[in-house]
Amino acid sequence: MLKVALAYVLASLLVFWLLGGLLIWLGAPDWANEFLLLVLAIGFPVALIFAWAYEITPSGLKKSLDVDQTQSIVFKTGQKLNAAVLVLAVLGVLALVGEQLLPTFEFPKIIEPILPAPVYEKPDKEGVPAEIRAHTLKNGLRIIVWPDHDIPNVVMYNYVRAGGRNEYPGITGLSHFFEHMMFNGTEKRAQGEFDETMEAAGGANNAYTSEDLTVYQDWFPRTALETIFELEGDRLKNLAIEPSVVETERGIVYSERRSNYDNDNFGRLYLEMNATAFIAHPYQFPVIGWASDIENWTQEDLESYFKTYYAPNNLTMVFTGDVKPEEVFNLARKYFGPIPAQEAPQAIRTVEPEQLGERRLLIEVDAPTPLMHVAFHAGNATDPRTLPMNVLLNILVGGSSSRLHQVLVEQEQLALAIGGFQMEGFDPGLVYFYLTLPPDADIAVVENRLLEELNRVATDGVTEAELAKARNIMIADYWRGLSTINGKAATLGGAEVFFGDYQEAFALPGKLDEVSAEQIQAVAEDIFNRKRMTLGVLRSPAGEDAQ
Amino acid sequence: MRVSRTIVFLLAALGCYSSFAAGVSLPDAERVVLANGTVLILNENHEVPLIGLEAVVPGGASADPADKHGLASLLAGLLEKGAGDRSSAEFAEAIASVGGELSASADLEAISVSAEFMSKDAALMVELVRDMLRAPELQRGEFLKLRERSVNLIKAAKGGDPGELMPAYANAFLFGDHPYGNPVGGSESSLANITLGDLLAFHSDMMGGDRLVIAVSGDFDTASMQKALTDAFGDWRAATGSLPSIQAAAPLPGRRVLLIDKPGATQTYFYIGNVGVDRNYTHRAELDLANTVFGGRFTSMLMTELRTKSGLSYGARSTLTRYAKPGALFIVSFTETSTTVAALDVAVGVLGQLRDVGLDQAMIESARNYIMGQFPPRLETASQLARMFASIEANGLDVSYINDYGDSLNAASRESIAAVINKVYPPADSLVFVILGDADSIRDEILQYGPVTEMSISEERFHPQGERESGLSGRADQ
Repeated sequence: MLKVALAYVLASLLVFWLLGGLLIWLGAPDWANEFLLLVLAIGFPVALIFAWAYEITPSGLKKSLDVDQTQSIVFKTGQKLNAAVLVLAVLGVLALVGEQLLPTFEFPKIIEPILPAPVYEKPDKEGVPAEIRAHTLKNGLRIIVWPDHDIPNVVMYNYVRAGGRNEYPGITGLSHFFEHMMFNGTEKRAQGEFDETMEAAGGANNAYTSEDLTVYQDWFPRTALETIFELEGDRLKNLAIEPSVVETERGIVYSERRSNYDNDNFGRLYLEMNATAFIAHPYQFPVIGWASDIENWTQEDLESYFKTYYAPNNLTMVFTGDVKPEEVFNLARKYFGPIPAQEAPQAIRTVEPEQLGERRLLIEVDAPTPLMHVAFHAGNATDPRTLPMNVLLNILVGGSSSRLHQVLVEQEQLALAIGGFQMEGFDPGLVYFYLTLPPDADIAVVENRLLEELNRVATDGVTEAELAKARNIMIADYWRGLSTINGKAATLGGAEVFFGDYQEAFALPGKLDEVSAEQIQAVAEDIFNRKRMTLGVLRSPAGEDAQ
Repeated sequence: MRVSRTIVFLLAALGCYSSFAAGVSLPDAERVVLANGTVLILNENHEVPLIGLEAVVPGGASADPADKHGLASLLAGLLEKGAGDRSSAEFAEAIASVGGELSASADLEAISVSAEFMSKDAALMVELVRDMLRAPELQRGEFLKLRERSVNLIKAAKGGDPGELMPAYANAFLFGDHPYGNPVGGSESSLANITLGDLLAFHSDMMGGDRLVIAVSGDFDTASMQKALTDAFGDWRAATGSLPSIQAAAPLPGRRVLLIDKPGATQTYFYIGNVGVDRNYTHRAELDLANTVFGGRFTSMLMTELRTKSGLSYGARSTLTRYAKPGALFIVSFTETSTTVAALDVAVGVLGQLRDVGLDQAMIESARNYIMGQFPPRLETASQLARMFASIEANGLDVSYINDYGDSLNAASRESIAAVINKVYPPADSLVFVILGDADSIRDEILQYGPVTEMSISEERFHPQGERESGLSGRADQ
């Protein structure tokens, strides 16, 4: 019976290896592999019971007790089993050796044509490059691949749906802190090994955290493709949250906070603007975190955060560059397939209540030149007002020919520089303007002129020439974005994450054609409303000369 | 089974490592020298409907007079403020209306114009670049506005991230009166000395067709682009002045410290280094390998010690600036005010470790793979290629600078790298420290690094005034 068990195990391993390879090649769903394993596992006790209770005879199965022991063929069968075990063991060793020699399981070329081709999602909208493929693993991990063989390099973006909006008092900054911890070791790899392995394979990485997302980026030569999968799979499966490493990392993040906010007047004002413009929604929290939270979050906070947000069903990955979709999906199944899905994270329930009057904010610190930031509540990424507002922002602050640059910087010299952007997240955000003022600026005059100009859009609209120019700039930027594999990854990923479909990225030129001057005027009238404005000033304390 | 597949991938990956530094090479390009000396480089490729252009005129901020730092940079800025038949606003409008990008800037060695336009707008692009270089308005009103704005933007930067001002302080202290110590954008006080007449003179002295290099890459027809550029620049007059002759600066002996006081700063920013090497340094591959390991990537020795292990800083790196003559080599980092000495000690210690222990074979392999693996995306777009072609030509190099680089990396040995480290990285007793922070909190403890010269961030200059070294006693009365 022991021999039967051994033979069964060896045979099962061979069957699993062969059929498993076939299933992967066919692009079968992940459960197919697991189902195969289950069938083989169920077969094991059945085989043992049969071996114990029955004998296999030339005339069929007979109960052991019914067999005349003098006529028993157990010995002969045993010998056959011995042979079978030996053959299977030899085959097993050969298979293992064979596998060592072959980097991946491949069927002979000759039978490829007769096997059905793997099926992945192809683009189904007009204007979308036909070579893009998408696929969602059984555990919910979504992967998009855009092959581009111009340079022998690959870019990976991994979008984790976790950012400042998923935080609350006590854990503000945790998403960003976690971004750091993802590089700090796993059960298999000590701190530093992730980067050492990647860089030794020619790759580099980075990551960023926003109000909505944590995004991981790898840039690597195609020769490092499987290394990248192994590294990414390892940290998603086996992340170690080592308490001593957490303490060191607090110091690093604190240093980052000091650089970007505490010692930078722009950052200082920006943090408090968000904290003032939002009173309920978590967009009020700084992505870097409040200082006391950086000092105090706990091991438990980190562990539950990882389990909730770094589950495959909360991730979207994009690969662009010198790859074939099939190899990416195969590697994804191999390295990410076994990671279990988790319950979906809780939805963000808090809706920012309507602002009913303007809010003002003053920061008095040592400031050689004053700063002014102005924000209005606006829409989210998919709000129909968002694209016309982006066109308008281009008209107002897009480069040195823009309206506000010409008026405030060139003609009236009220500002040294002006810029603006719109938050385009999952939840309604802000349209934001930031001005650097001359040392002797009359802040009230600047404010009046800025608001007059914004008002002018609401009352008089924009010209067709301004609209055409903004469109041209945005179309050229769109093409520039698609001229690198990095830009391609960012473009696809942004559309997939915020619009639920990467194909939306390619709709931009068409959508821009539809934006009208009337629409822009209506959006300006709606959004540039002083009741929903927050205005912040940072300057030296009154009565003190600026440096 | 999973284990065995892992082994397979490791073996396969190891096999790849040794062979993939095969090299990167520049695409073919036409090189044409016009009768007036202008050099054109044309690299036609039709992947995206864009054209990148880079025009370089040598000279730059190292030609700024001693009391007029920022002159070349101000001129570059003013080139965009009206040219040919277009006023400043009209010029900006012409670029933006077709979604183009066009800007001029100065660095120590040149004034450069970078452009990127959709291919259908190639003729407009050439016209705008021609007007900017050959026929800028250089109008008084625009000049006064730009000068005042430039002064105020330096003031504004002093309220921003101090890390951005550090290169100006560091180069000024290291190179002193040498042209490589010039702050490219000028200082508040030096900009005030510059007149419109200075700009006009710089334009005719330093800029002309005999010095111009234009590289174009992207979606165009070579013959017609060559004709357009020849028509635009073939008859541009020669520059009337001579280029500055720059002597190589020698590394500074001993130790010295510049302390820039920013009262209330909660963080200390520091540069530590000395004079490094020039662009033509023979052992560039060895040096790049060494610097990659020392401070050129995330797992570098500096990052490991100052960030990963100790949490002293968010970032640390080592920079090499290479010009026609030796530029600077600096360790760059920052830390909380209270850990200033700890971080400085670690940085100096890592430098010692580099010199004493050097690189092992695994580090060299890793650095080689890293440099080559990260190279192709640097030459991916038309604009990147145009910039690279122009830089090679303007600096008197040839394409072997790129094309043979992979081979040089492969040829570098542990011994040749060790020799380079020893020669290029300064020993612990020859270091220049430039430290910006809250002086009251750190003044006393940084005396240990050498004689301290102190200045305030509110001073309207980057060069410290008077004696470079004030020493211990000099501080006591202040």
